[in-house]
Amino acid sequence: MAEGAHQTSSAMTRPSAMLFKKLHTFINWRENRTSALPQRRITHEEAEEEEFSYQTTGCLSSYYSIFVARLAIMVMLAILIGMLTILTWHFTRVYTTKSINSLAYGLRYEILQRPILRMWNILNSTVELTMAQVKLSEYVIGSYDKPSAQEQVELHQMMRDVTWALFSSRRALDAITISYRNGFVQAFHRDRLSNSTFYIYSELVSEGEAQGGHLHQSRDKNASAIWYRERLNPVTGEKEGDRRQIPPDDLINIAGLPEVQDGAASWHVAVCKYSDSPLLSAALPVRHPNGGSIVAAVGVTTAFKGVAQLMKELVDFHSGYMYLTSLEGYVLATSTDTPLLRNTTTGRKLMLATDLEDHIPRAGAEWLQRAYGNKFPINHEVHAQNVLLGNQRYYIDSFFLNLKRLPLVGVIIIPRKYIMGKVDHIGFTTLVIMISASISILAIGCVCILILTSGVSKAMKLKAQLISHLDARRKAEASSNYKSQFLANMSHELRTPMAAVIGLLDILIYDNCLTNEQFATLTQIRKCSTALLRLLNNILDLSKVESGKLVLEEAEFDLGRELEGLVDMFSVQCIDLNVETILDLSDDMPKVVRGDSARIVQIFTNLISNSIKFTSEGHIILRGWCESSNRTTLPEGSKDQKMSQCTPRNKLKQNESILKKEYQKNDRITLWFEVEDTGCGIDPSKWESVFESFEQADPSTTRTHGGTGLGLCIVRNLVNKMGGEIKVVKKDGQGTLMQLYLVLGMPEDGTVNGFQAEFCRYSFKVLLALHGRQSRFIMSQWLREKGVFTWETSEWNGLTQILQQIFQENMECSTSESLNMSRMRVAPRETNLDKMGGSDILIVVDIALLDQSTNIWNQQLIFLEQYRGKAKFAWMLSHDTSNAIKVELQRRGHFLTISKPLYKTKMIHILDAVVNEVNFKNQTSRNLLNSTMDEDFHDSHELDSIHFDAISSDDSNTSDLDKQDSKIHTFSSEEERIERIPESHQPHSSSRKMSTQRVSMDKIIKNPNILLAMGNSLNMSEDFVETDKRGNKSKDYASWYEHKDIEKNIISSVDDELQDIKSHSAVGNKDAFLKLNQLHNEGESMIEQEYQWNAKPILYDQGETKQKMTAKINVASSGNTHVEGMEKQLSIERSTELTCRNSRLLKSQDMHYSVHKGDCVASNTIVPDQNPLGGLHILLAEDNPILQRVATAMLEKKGAKVVAVGDGMQAVDAIKCMLCAEESKRQNSTHQDGVAGLSELQKYPSFDLVLMDCQMPKLDGYEATKAIRNLEAGTSLHIPIIAVTAHAMSSDEAKCLDVGMDAYLTKPIDSNLMVSTVLSLTQRDV
Amino acid sequence: MAATALKEQLNGLVNSMFAEGLLDEQFQQLQMLQDGSNPGFVAEVVTLFCEDSERILTELTKLMDQALVDYSKVDAYVHQLKGSSSSVGAQNVKLACIQFRQFCEENNKEGCVRALNVVKHEYYRLRSKFETMLQLESRIQAYENKQQN
Repeated sequence: MAEGAHQTSSAMTRPSAMLFKKLHTFINWRENRTSALPQRRITHEEAEEEEFSYQTTGCLSSYYSIFVARLAIMVMLAILIGMLTILTWHFTRVYTTKSINSLAYGLRYEILQRPILRMWNILNSTVELTMAQVKLSEYVIGSYDKPSAQEQVELHQMMRDVTWALFSSRRALDAITISYRNGFVQAFHRDRLSNSTFYIYSELVSEGEAQGGHLHQSRDKNASAIWYRERLNPVTGEKEGDRRQIPPDDLINIAGLPEVQDGAASWHVAVCKYSDSPLLSAALPVRHPNGGSIVAAVGVTTAFKGVAQLMKELVDFHSGYMYLTSLEGYVLATSTDTPLLRNTTTGRKLMLATDLEDHIPRAGAEWLQRAYGNKFPINHEVHAQNVLLGNQRYYIDSFFLNLKRLPLVGVIIIPRKYIMGKVDHIGFTTLVIMISASISILAIGCVCILILTSGVSKAMKLKAQLISHLDARRKAEASSNYKSQFLANMSHELRTPMAAVIGLLDILIYDNCLTNEQFATLTQIRKCSTALLRLLNNILDLSKVESGKLVLEEAEFDLGRELEGLVDMFSVQCIDLNVETILDLSDDMPKVVRGDSARIVQIFTNLISNSIKFTSEGHIILRGWCESSNRTTLPEGSKDQKMSQCTPRNKLKQNESILKKEYQKNDRITLWFEVEDTGCGIDPSKWESVFESFEQADPSTTRTHGGTGLGLCIVRNLVNKMGGEIKVVKKDGQGTLMQLYLVLGMPEDGTVNGFQAEFCRYSFKVLLALHGRQSRFIMSQWLREKGVFTWETSEWNGLTQILQQIFQENMECSTSESLNMSRMRVAPRETNLDKMGGSDILIVVDIALLDQSTNIWNQQLIFLEQYRGKAKFAWMLSHDTSNAIKVELQRRGHFLTISKPLYKTKMIHILDAVVNEVNFKNQTSRNLLNSTMDEDFHDSHELDSIHFDAISSDDSNTSDLDKQDSKIHTFSSEEERIERIPESHQPHSSSRKMSTQRVSMDKIIKNPNILLAMGNSLNMSEDFVETDKRGNKSKDYASWYEHKDIEKNIISSVDDELQDIKSHSAVGNKDAFLKLNQLHNEGESMIEQEYQWNAKPILYDQGETKQKMTAKINVASSGNTHVEGMEKQLSIERSTELTCRNSRLLKSQDMHYSVHKGDCVASNTIVPDQNPLGGLHILLAEDNPILQRVATAMLEKKGAKVVAVGDGMQAVDAIKCMLCAEESKRQNSTHQDGVAGLSELQKYPSFDLVLMDCQMPKLDGYEATKAIRNLEAGTSLHIPIIAVTAHAMSSDEAKCLDVGMDAYLTKPIDSNLMVSTVLSLTQRDV
Repeated sequence: MAATALKEQLNGLVNSMFAEGLLDEQFQQLQMLQDGSNPGFVAEVVTLFCEDSERILTELTKLMDQALVDYSKVDAYVHQLKGSSSSVGAQNVKLACIQFRQFCEENNKEGCVRALNVVKHEYYRLRSKFETMLQLESRIQAYENKQQN
């Protein structure tokens, strides 16, 4: 990846690299295209994708690659065509040229050879002629040996004739001369210019002169020698004119004797004024035939004219220029007509070739001169081609003819055009044609390539787009993944500040010196912060689920209670919106299930809040039922009931019931839920997509309703995670119906269903005066199903009417029971109940029925007052019910109040309470009644507030409470059994009173538990720690109360005594437990103590019958046995806790009494407790001194006693000692051997809780916990251990829980969280 | 009078420390824990923190000076420092420690050295502020005692 990025960055600087890359990608692409295996293609694509992914734009690169591909193809084509062209051109051209060149060479040679041959011929002929002349002369002269003068003349005549004969036979001859020894000269001469022939002779002037020998000498010396010239007929040789004397200047060259001195022939080139061209003259001596002496010299002169003529002819034919020069460079013949001689002052001279007038030959000569100078190669052979002369190219060749005494050089200059012109032309044409052809082919090829590749380029473009899309998607996914990762990792960082904010707000809210406004503002901030935290949690949850880090808990919890809490919470919101919130759980729902309560609550929170968001009026119903196989075997009636309620659901259920059965096999249960609202509904097309993240059914609603669209997504994720499904179901009428099922675990012990309450106990008719139509309907349906007769009304007028109606009937009823019986046959059980206790009417009145806007409600209350004695009122308050109404209700003795909304559990509570009340009423003990009702009032309030807190799902707490409740239930049922026995024998009153007593006790017992769970427990614990005082106090209370009772013992002493016994036994129980735990109180044995305490009331109660005494003892002993049983069953901690509770119960009892009496013994307002951890001993194991100090301070501030240790080892030691102490204490408690254990006990207080840091020296938190758990293994003890760690991951939490820790706190410690955690743990086992 | 001025000064200092991000809400919790029954609690904790941190920093410097760094040891120390700084509310030191630990996990020596320097820098910055704060507190204490006398 980094490499890719690097390449991209460097690509700009290195175009070559880029090109390479492009080619590479191109090749890749080609490979991809050709790859036959799809599998491989995919991997290639991936690889390519990788490669593309970090380039700036994939599209651009593909353009480049296309471009480059085309370019490459074109270039290759061009190269191919170019090579073809060049090769063709080369072969055609070169071979032609070569062959023509060789031919041309031959031609030139031949051309040149011919003039040379001619020259040779000329020479030869000259020589031959000369020789002939010589031979003839010799013969003639030989015949005239020593001639006389006469003979001399004859000789000369003879010689003249002979010579003429020779001369005339050769027309090419220029002249023949014979010069004799005596100086006589005979010569024939042809004048070419005048085309006439002359005979020239000299007259001998004197002998002496003639004997002078040398012709020239004589001529030179004797200027006065007379020369004659005779014109001759050129054909016949006849004399045509007179002899004429000529000046010596006009003489032709006459070879003299000196020239032939050596006897050999001599050559030279001569110049004659009668001829334009140079002449070749040869001379030979004529020897005397006898003596061999030279008698005469014969000279023959031949003009080169013939050669020039030949050359001219040749050149005319072949074009070009030729010339012959002597070795010295004098021009002898040219093919042109230029003069070859120049006139100088000394006569005509030969010209050098470089001086020629003709341009080309001169240039050629000059070139030769330049090129070779005087250093001609051997034989003077030069063959030069392409010599640029003037504007044309020429071939220049020169040949050397080595004649003796006259070496000749022939030069031929032939224009190249003549030889190669055609070839060149053809070659050029070929080249042009080929180039144009190749260019056109290239062009066509390029066009073809473009056309062919355009399809490919489209594909490439698409591919590039696809790749870029893929890339974008991948990036988006990556970033989303990063987001999830980031959020998951940041969870700690995000939550901590929020926790701190909320914690600090809590602290601030508990501050006493706040004005109301400040308090309100703070509350608001608190709410907002909570909302923000929830939002954060939402996002975090989603990211957690998405990143697969979410681990669902598996813990037992009370599903019904969670949902009730939820509905309670939302009802507050809904009341403002005029929306009913209804919880409709079927009775077959298991009370306790295993699962992740927080997540389930989250699911429903999201669903319901979603519904609320879109529902402006109407109702929201949360239905729940159990998907079980025995559903089909349900009684017909109830099934019909169900069917009538929600037909579509049932159908669906039956369809899927077969499928669901499988889940039930391994302790799993499928629970179905429905959330129905009457909101704006969801378009069917959106039914699936609403569960996508950030998806809302109607985006425009975001503005009106807000929200992120995450809620349903989380819900679906969670539901799926729990093995369920969620979907939107078609609904009749307006609104949305969401249906989901969850697969949850059943508790191992298989507890009974929660709603199996004994309705037979409720001998009531219920008047439901409720505002909400739906909830009233469901409630009455349910009650009827359970055999409780109901009326319904939704308004005040209806209420009054029904009331009047009922009580008229009731009056009749009281008079004629039979009539009543027949009327009440609606519910068969009721008639039985009627028999038992008479039918009571419970009126559940919604406070909203009262006219609260004006003061009429007061009158309405007064109106209801008249029914007070005849019916029981239960008031349904809403959260915004004004305090005035509450006070008024209380004043009028309406203590039975509940908060909206009404659901089954609450109804059962109400019925319970009413049953108790009725019983109390039978006892006519107003004190007790009031106190009980007061309790109930608190009860209902606390119940609600519990639910508000329970949103955060402190499930362990609630389930503990449930356990507690159930225990008490069993306890009470035990008692019931005991009491039922006398019931059968005794007249009515005793047993009934007993049972009433019990129920009230139940109520009371239950109450403080709830208080405790709330964390708003009364600040009593410290008092109880100080045991000495406590014992006395409780004694005091007890006795004080008894005294009071004695005073009050007017109406029914029996009841009071029973009450006393009950309370005493409770006190006794408590004390017994206290004794058990804190041995330093008294050394007496528990049992002794108990009996002592039990004995005391006996002393007081004197006016009772024996039977009642036995009953008392029965009760007391049953209490004791129960205590015994409890002692055996529960651990020491548990019993301590129970003791605390009992003492609290006692205290609250006292409190209520005192309040009622107006004695003001203790002022207990519901003020937030400053010392929620009061009385707790906490062992803090933390190595970090700072954290140790801080945590200690925090805990101490909350009232706990803290012992801090520095490492795990010390912690284990401390626990070990404590356990020893406990052991010994317990032994002491049973064997009354308290002295030994006392000191140890003081040294190590029994710890209620351990806060354990995870990372510590010597022994870390995990090991220490393991060690502690090992220590405990033998005993029934279980010290709650809370892990304190800086790691915030769920894995760490899991690790902590694995080693046996009970809870988990993250650093930095949030004091509120810590307190709640500590509280939840210290109470769980009670 | 002087005591109130000093208190204002102290508050200003602490607020500036919050504003600079040197401290976070945890320190506020500490302050809240200090009351009549527990005077000088903050000072005590801060002093503890300083001593502890200096010890850890010395150890860390020693460890980092070695040619072969024992990253597990370093990590343990840094974790300690992170714990203590987070419980004092020394935000910057904590953040630096988090960074440090990351480098530590990567076994990135250069990064570790750099992170150590950052931690030191943050710590000394914080310590100087803390010193001023403690001085102010002790002076306030002295004044109050005088007034009581």
